[in-house]
Amino acid sequence: MAQRSEANNVFFLIIVGILAWIVPGAGHYMLKEKKRAIIIFTTIVLTFIIGLYIGSIGIINPVDAKAWYLAQIMNSPMVAALGHLTSMDPEKYRVFGRPNEIGQYYTSIAGLLNLLCIINAVYLAHLRGTKAEV
Amino acid sequence: MPLMLFSIMANFIAPENIGTDPKSMLWLLPLTAAIAIVYKATKMPKITAGSFIKEVAILSGSIIIFIIIIALALFGLAWMITE
Repeated sequence: MAQRSEANNVFFLIIVGILAWIVPGAGHYMLKEKKRAIIIFTTIVLTFIIGLYIGSIGIINPVDAKAWYLAQIMNSPMVAALGHLTSMDPEKYRVFGRPNEIGQYYTSIAGLLNLLCIINAVYLAHLRGTKAEV
Repeated sequence: MPLMLFSIMANFIAPENIGTDPKSMLWLLPLTAAIAIVYKATKMPKITAGSFIKEVAILSGSIIIFIIIIALALFGLAWMITE
């Protein structure tokens, strides 16, 4: 019985982590932390959209800017779709100079902030799981 | 919703026209607010509007002041080396 409960807990942590990755703030929403979820969703999505507005979708470049792309994809798996779109015709979407830099800073920092939120949501879920067992 | 967001974002195909002058770095200032908001949203045990805004203002202010101190120190160092 205890084993099953532990397996359920691990499954729950994985679900929280995946949800928090797919939609920023969804992990916290699942844990009934609605205020945090709304703040996280609004801030991360706005930061990401501002980055795209400044630099265009060309800043998501899985071919020539892999390190930035790794941070950007932490926003949501949807970034992979945008990356696929830009990598199909790189010359059409190529961005240079300051807009490229600033756009990459915004989108990558939004991704790293979402990584922080994913870890925080999984940790909160873990703490609640251990408290419930006691 | 993700599909709707994707279709909106896929329309951003032309970058903004931003120069390479020092003023263009001011575009990065709102990032300090984003970092402070998300960090405080994960760290505060209980979120109330007043205390949250106060904490965010203190943290983003501290980040900006620290950046200014570092910039002045680096500027001074560069000045000492080149003069």
